[in-house]
Amino acid sequence: MLTVRNLHAGYDGKEVLRDVNINVPTGSVVTVLGANGAGKSTLLNSIVGLVPTSSGVIEWNGGKIENTTPDQALKCGIALVPEQRELFLGMSVADNLRMGAYLRRNSLDIGAEQQYLLEIFPSLKSRLEQPARALSGGEQQMLAIARALMSKPSVLLLDEPSLGLAPKFVEEIFRILKQITGDGTTVLLVEQNAAMALDAAESGYVLDIGKITFSGTSEELKKSPIVRASYL
Amino acid sequence: MRLRIIFSVLGIAMFFLIPKLFADYNLYQFCLIAVTSLIVLGLVIVTGIAGQISLGQSAFVALGGYGAAILATNWGVPLWLGIPLVAVLVATVGFLLGLMTLRVEGHYLALTTMAFTAIVQLALVHADAVTGGAAGMPVPSFELFGKSLSTGAELYYLIVPITALLFIVVINLNNSRTGRVFAAIRQSEIAAEAMGVNILVYKASAFAASAFLGAIGGGLLAILVTYLDPAQFGITQTVYYLAIAVVGGLLSPFGAIIGTTVFVFLPEFLQTFQTYLGLVFGIMLLGFIVLRPKGLASLIDIENLKKIVFKSRRESVGS
Repeated sequence: MLTVRNLHAGYDGKEVLRDVNINVPTGSVVTVLGANGAGKSTLLNSIVGLVPTSSGVIEWNGGKIENTTPDQALKCGIALVPEQRELFLGMSVADNLRMGAYLRRNSLDIGAEQQYLLEIFPSLKSRLEQPARALSGGEQQMLAIARALMSKPSVLLLDEPSLGLAPKFVEEIFRILKQITGDGTTVLLVEQNAAMALDAAESGYVLDIGKITFSGTSEELKKSPIVRASYL
Repeated sequence: MRLRIIFSVLGIAMFFLIPKLFADYNLYQFCLIAVTSLIVLGLVIVTGIAGQISLGQSAFVALGGYGAAILATNWGVPLWLGIPLVAVLVATVGFLLGLMTLRVEGHYLALTTMAFTAIVQLALVHADAVTGGAAGMPVPSFELFGKSLSTGAELYYLIVPITALLFIVVINLNNSRTGRVFAAIRQSEIAAEAMGVNILVYKASAFAASAFLGAIGGGLLAILVTYLDPAQFGITQTVYYLAIAVVGGLLSPFGAIIGTTVFVFLPEFLQTFQTYLGLVFGIMLLGFIVLRPKGLASLIDIENLKKIVFKSRRESVGS
């Protein structure tokens, strides 16, 4: 279980997140819904240590992660797919994947991981030697997810994977999401596309200007008037 | 592999053939190209490959040259020992300067490194007890196994192999995992950090490498010009190095050699133009930034060459 307790975080003294509490049970998909600027990306970035936390506790399987740095978070098994994908556009698809396994040393394992992921993401298979720039938006998002999975994380943090994608690709991404959770990966998904996110997730939270204003199972969220009014 | 061996043999043959074909003055020019390209190689690493704008290169050159010369003059440390020793120290200074990138970036980093150049130059002027102040100081002769090297031909056999060696090291590093990590940092700092890359250490190491190469270049330059004065190491000179790197191609180690060759030989061809040389360089710099941001190196298809070498290697493995 990934637990975020009483988390406060922000940039240069300006607090973006105030007293955020979140539970992500192992093997499940949990979503955080929120409008632009609600602090969704800050939440994910502060879990992996890209944004410093001012107070609060992040726990994974009972172990505390405090003032973490991204490499420590990765070693604990938490990987982030950043907002806007942030691919290495000039590098080949294969090199992007290789960078995802940056902290892993065993090249045999890395090769096996890549083989396995190319089965989940078949569209990347034929394009391994092409630069990431040459991929379509949907394929780029696949690559961003595959790159994060190269570290073989137990928890995957996904920052708006559906952003700017055609509906066909959004569906494909959510299909893949089901497949990786089937393998036992825990997913924390941040989304504006609430309908899709709630279909994929078991439970969810609503984040509004840095505060959690609502939480419950996906069904409860779908029925909630607040969610219906603002996000569906 | 076969092609690689052919290239190596050709290179070594050329190395021994050139002194037979050219006059001493030309060999001196080749030495100057080698030393300058080594200094520019440092800039290619920090500004091109690691993406950190540095205007501190001539300060590293000054520290390398003066450091080795002062050790030799005042403490009798031979230059062959002093130059690498000082270069390691200057690399440490470079690393510390690189740690600054945690706090400043972009234009501010450019300004900070420029200030570093100005400070070093001022220090050289005012520490006249050891540096000879604004008047400068002579560089003791370079002695190896009791023989003193001074002519272009003699220095050629010292400077060109050192330069070649350092270039080979940098090119190999750039084609390895390290090079891939730098490319990743350049293309998305956030993603590289999210993959677990310690960005600060990489950036500071790039500064250390550029300082090391600058200092080795400075030491060799000191031997070559035999006299050091602070005017050689100002902000103009630092911009000159940056201009060479841009014209040659900021992202390619080969660009450092190509750019330097142009900048050393061009004044020869433009003798009558001497007064307008600065203007010619300025226009060239501007032209390249606008029209060919990847520099002269991008006109030669280095990627294609690599493919040929790589392919021949794979074939020889197969056969």
